[in-house]
Amino acid sequence: MARRRSRSRAGSKADQEFVSEAEEILERVRLDLADLRDQQARGTEVAPDLVNRLFRSAHSLKGLAGLFGFQPIHDLAHHLEDVLDALRLGKLVLHASAVDLVDRSVQLFSALLEAVGDDAALAAAAEPVPELIRGIEGVKQPPEAPSEAFAGLDVNPSLMRALTEYEEHRLRENLRRGRHILLADATFEIISFEDGLSELSAALREVGEVISTLPAPGESSDAQIRFSLLVGSDLPGDEVASRLDFPDTSIRSIRSGTEAPAPEPGSGPPVAEEPPPLADLRDLESLKSISETVRVDIRKLDELMNLVGELVIQRGMLSELIARLSGDAQTVRIGNELSKLHKVLDRKLRELQAAVLDVRMVPLRQVFEKISRVVRRLRHELDRDARLELRGADTELDKLIVEELVDPLMHIVRNALDHAIEPPDERRAAGKEPQGSIRIEAFQRGNHVVISVSDDGRGIDLEALRERARSQGLVPPDEVPSDRETLDLIFAPGLTTRSEVTETSGRGVGLDVVRHNLTLLGGAVDVESTPGRGTTFLLTLPITLAIVQSLVVAVGAQRFAIPLTAVHETLLVEPTDIQRSEGRELLNLRGEALLLRRLAREFGLPEADPDGRRFAVVMGLGDARVGLLVDRLDGQQDTVIKPIQGPIAAVRGVAGATELGGQEPVLVLDVSAFLAEALGRREAA
Amino acid sequence: MSESGAPVLGGGERWQELAREAARRRDVAAESVDLVQLLTFELAGAPYALPVERVREIVRIRPITPVPRMPAHVCGVVSLRGEIVQVLDLRRCLGLPPATPTRASRIVVVHGSEGGVAGLLVDGVTEVFSAAEDTLRPASGEGGVEALCARAETFVSLIGLDRVLGFDGQ
Repeated sequence: MARRRSRSRAGSKADQEFVSEAEEILERVRLDLADLRDQQARGTEVAPDLVNRLFRSAHSLKGLAGLFGFQPIHDLAHHLEDVLDALRLGKLVLHASAVDLVDRSVQLFSALLEAVGDDAALAAAAEPVPELIRGIEGVKQPPEAPSEAFAGLDVNPSLMRALTEYEEHRLRENLRRGRHILLADATFEIISFEDGLSELSAALREVGEVISTLPAPGESSDAQIRFSLLVGSDLPGDEVASRLDFPDTSIRSIRSGTEAPAPEPGSGPPVAEEPPPLADLRDLESLKSISETVRVDIRKLDELMNLVGELVIQRGMLSELIARLSGDAQTVRIGNELSKLHKVLDRKLRELQAAVLDVRMVPLRQVFEKISRVVRRLRHELDRDARLELRGADTELDKLIVEELVDPLMHIVRNALDHAIEPPDERRAAGKEPQGSIRIEAFQRGNHVVISVSDDGRGIDLEALRERARSQGLVPPDEVPSDRETLDLIFAPGLTTRSEVTETSGRGVGLDVVRHNLTLLGGAVDVESTPGRGTTFLLTLPITLAIVQSLVVAVGAQRFAIPLTAVHETLLVEPTDIQRSEGRELLNLRGEALLLRRLAREFGLPEADPDGRRFAVVMGLGDARVGLLVDRLDGQQDTVIKPIQGPIAAVRGVAGATELGGQEPVLVLDVSAFLAEALGRREAA
Repeated sequence: MSESGAPVLGGGERWQELAREAARRRDVAAESVDLVQLLTFELAGAPYALPVERVREIVRIRPITPVPRMPAHVCGVVSLRGEIVQVLDLRRCLGLPPATPTRASRIVVVHGSEGGVAGLLVDGVTEVFSAAEDTLRPASGEGGVEALCARAETFVSLIGLDRVLGFDGQ
């Protein structure tokens, strides 16, 4: 399977690793920066977490560049880190020029990363670094005058001394805004304090900002631990206390809020929009351990997946054996014992399968970020003004699906921007806002993730679509397809609704390809449209995707898939090659007798020509081998094996079904069942 | 639109809408009389029905992959937006003569009693109507028909879904 790795042309493996890791950090910075600009543009308070995250990213980048010895990147990151640190500590006012500097740094980082692996190019790309660093030095302002001590706070002074510089800054900021400052004292059992503390923190974040979480001084018993949480809230202490009902927790005001908060331009909701992803306690430590993640090559995960798959097949063999042991009076006891063990093994194996699948899951955030960058660029190129709204970036999908999703999603978004969103004056004439809107929303629904892409553009002209489909022969002239059916025609191969070709949307490659590609992933795409109001595409994708390479074979008109892990080789078999012994068919395979089974007979299917040449698929697990005779080989495919749902219990020999791009499912053979049957019969014979 | 063309996803949407509407009406009506919403369809020219609450969706006929070694009343499996679901030939389940699906044929996707789903192949979907529960007459016998319900001049046979889904072809 050819998979796209890093985009960079970087040479050595170390360089590659550096670039891919640095790009990941940079992606995060871009995203946070976009959020920050948004919040500034809306005039809301910039979420403190956002600046923190930016700071951490710069810090990571600095460390990474230092580790790999990329001095210019290290230097730039170092200065950027300084500025961001000053910003998060409130030493520097967050104004447009500071944000611009961060922006310019990000662009420069991109250029530098592009050049990694080519020393001359890198030196050239690094030229603007000193100038930018001077710029960064320029915006650093004298630190704000040491503010009034926190007099009037009714709190243990030792607690105040424990506050970090950042926490002091947040406390000052909350005081300045005239918020109530609350102190929550909570006692937890040591064994479970993490859960209790994160619950309490989450609840407190609902009503305000958790400024600091500290172990409370003194008197905790051995089995218990006390924490004090300093909270800034718009609600007074008694109200918060009555809202939250936590055992062994007291909440009191240590300073009442002032009636009129200090004026703040367009002060918006005081609570940060997204709660920090980690429990507060870990958040405090997170500057020490920047990341607890390990980067793994997806191929290694595939190997793990395959190993688990093989274990599952072996388990199948085991259950066959157990059935035989249990069916014999002499061995029934040992069979029953084994069956108990088997149940445990079965459960653990399922857990293992789920855990390995879980590792492959990644959030859609990166895809969304790519799209928003492209949209930003296209807005200029196409002169279309459209707002892009992204929701559900944390929705997780299999890494491979996420990679394959970028192109179809991009295609739909480009279409929306290029064709659906009208030019501003046309929108005004239609009574719409001059700025169009494209909204991408992802959410989980059962075992699937649904991604909807909606625009508020002109919608799909059904009449024109019908005409076009007719003129292209996609619809018989005497037939009038329903609106629903007509809309579905946009996925028909070769159909375009616009005669001109643009660079952005291209031509030829259309929504039919989008649908085809999504179907290959086991997904689907649907469309809804209201003329004049807009269009919504709904992409449905399976969350879990265990991709297995399969050999596709055919008997008569029906195709079947055989997991490649169980296929040893395939042979062309002439009728004269087949020998018979005791009613069984055999093949001389390099001196060994290979038992043959005809798939057509096993499955009661019509055989094309019983005496014609055909193919033997040599399947095996462990030492067991059997040759399966089929009419045709249809090549290898990536398949997703799905369970068959329905009231009738699974049949022997069928492990599940898969989709190969066509509409009808293709059955996946259960190799272990075939082996057990064939070999079992040999023993019986 | 050809039958073999691109999948008509949500082809049963109109029916779902009808069903939802009916369900809303029922919510109001249920307070006075016990009404049951029935989806009616045809099999070999006669009307049959299922409780709407057991119907997940109705889809157009689509390519069905036969599954070997399954009982004869299982037509095979279809893909519903990536879900692989067995389709039962409701005619065979009820002992009616089998027939080749036509353009009017539909697959009624129903919820099993234990959370699973299954497709039922029917000749064509007709309507949704509500019947007072006390007008249902239990059917005699062990077959797939559980009750009869008068609808205008005819009797509609109410399918005992769990009996049908439990039918193993013997």
